[in-house]
Amino acid sequence: MTTRDMNLTATIALASLMSACATVAPPQLVEARNAYAASSNGLAAKLTPTELYEAKKALDKANVEFDNHGDTLECRDYAYIAQRKVELTDTKARTELDRQTIAEASKAGVVVRDSQVKATQAALAVSRNQIKEERRDNEAMTNDLRAINTAQSKDLQTTVTQLEAEKQARVAAETKLTGAMNDLKAIAAVKDDARGVVITLSGSVLFASGKYELLNTAMTKLDQVAEAIKAQDDDKRMVVEGHTDNRGADSINQPLSLNRATAVRNYLVSRGVESEKITAVGMSSSKPVTDNKTAENRANNRRVEIVIGSPGLSSR
Amino acid sequence: MTNKVVTALAALGLAGCASAPIPVYQLERAQSSIRGAEEIGARSVPAAALHLQLAKDETETAQSMASKGDIRSVLVMARAESDAELAIGLAREVAVHSDAVRATEDLKAVRARGNP
Repeated sequence: MTTRDMNLTATIALASLMSACATVAPPQLVEARNAYAASSNGLAAKLTPTELYEAKKALDKANVEFDNHGDTLECRDYAYIAQRKVELTDTKARTELDRQTIAEASKAGVVVRDSQVKATQAALAVSRNQIKEERRDNEAMTNDLRAINTAQSKDLQTTVTQLEAEKQARVAAETKLTGAMNDLKAIAAVKDDARGVVITLSGSVLFASGKYELLNTAMTKLDQVAEAIKAQDDDKRMVVEGHTDNRGADSINQPLSLNRATAVRNYLVSRGVESEKITAVGMSSSKPVTDNKTAENRANNRRVEIVIGSPGLSSR
Repeated sequence: MTNKVVTALAALGLAGCASAPIPVYQLERAQSSIRGAEEIGARSVPAAALHLQLAKDETETAQSMASKGDIRSVLVMARAESDAELAIGLAREVAVHSDAVRATEDLKAVRARGNP
């Protein structure tokens, strides 16, 4: 084949090729044309005319490329772009329609929550949940504190009840003591001095003259003394002092006073007074309550004193 | 005539160039649209996510073609921009539509209260 023949063949082939391309549009272009036709007859024509116009321009480029060059890659690119612009036009038309719906609802008084506010609402919801959780924690803490308070109140009430019971017991004890002391006063002299409570019993009531054995009548009185002593505070120590007048030698009066004190002490212990808390001492005639000039005075000096003193009380 | 045909045939083929840079404005528009689509949440809307991905792929393809001197890279970048714009539109449509649905329901409720 000559060069002339080859060129002729190529020309014919090219012409055939071009004429074939001019008649069959690529699928992308066909699709874009159809999409535009549908869009221009729909919402977009009314709601998004500008976007529709842009889509038309893109489609025109594709058509021109096809008319001039046939089914080329560029033709397909332009058709692709036109297709996307048509789809965008329809999307914006639907969006515009929704916006009009929202506007109508807003005019009717509906509070429209814009989608751009959703993020704020979501954040608010998170905050609200956090606040709810904090409230729950606070309530739980409050309940715990209330429970603690209730428990402490119960403890306090228990303590108050106990204190009240102790107070009542003390009052009862004091009443019993007062009663005992009143009974005692009927048979003995009771006074308070620097040493404590001093119960004075006349020697003649307790003993026969010069003797240190208790008379039977003395025991009855000492029973009352024992009750009065037992009604006292447990910490109190007691000293039984035997006293005589000044008649007779001290060598006689001292042991007599001691023996008498011991007799009284032993009897009180036998009636329930704690032995370790009561002692006996003989004072002889060293501590008269009055002078010994008269018989009556000497009788007064002949006595037994039961001193109920403080815990530090000790015999002289 | 022969020379013209041969020239035309040659022109139909790929022209040999070292590179064909994409115009800056075209590149920036495409990238800006892609960023916009991501910011509006196109990823969470299936249809929008598809076009967002197409836009990214086309951007890469265009840059690759440009480095090889393919002048068609400009058109491919334009395709990327059109896909990204559509992704934005689709994502926005979903968001506004849900507001519209809610507004319609609230309006019905308001009217129902007004007309027991």
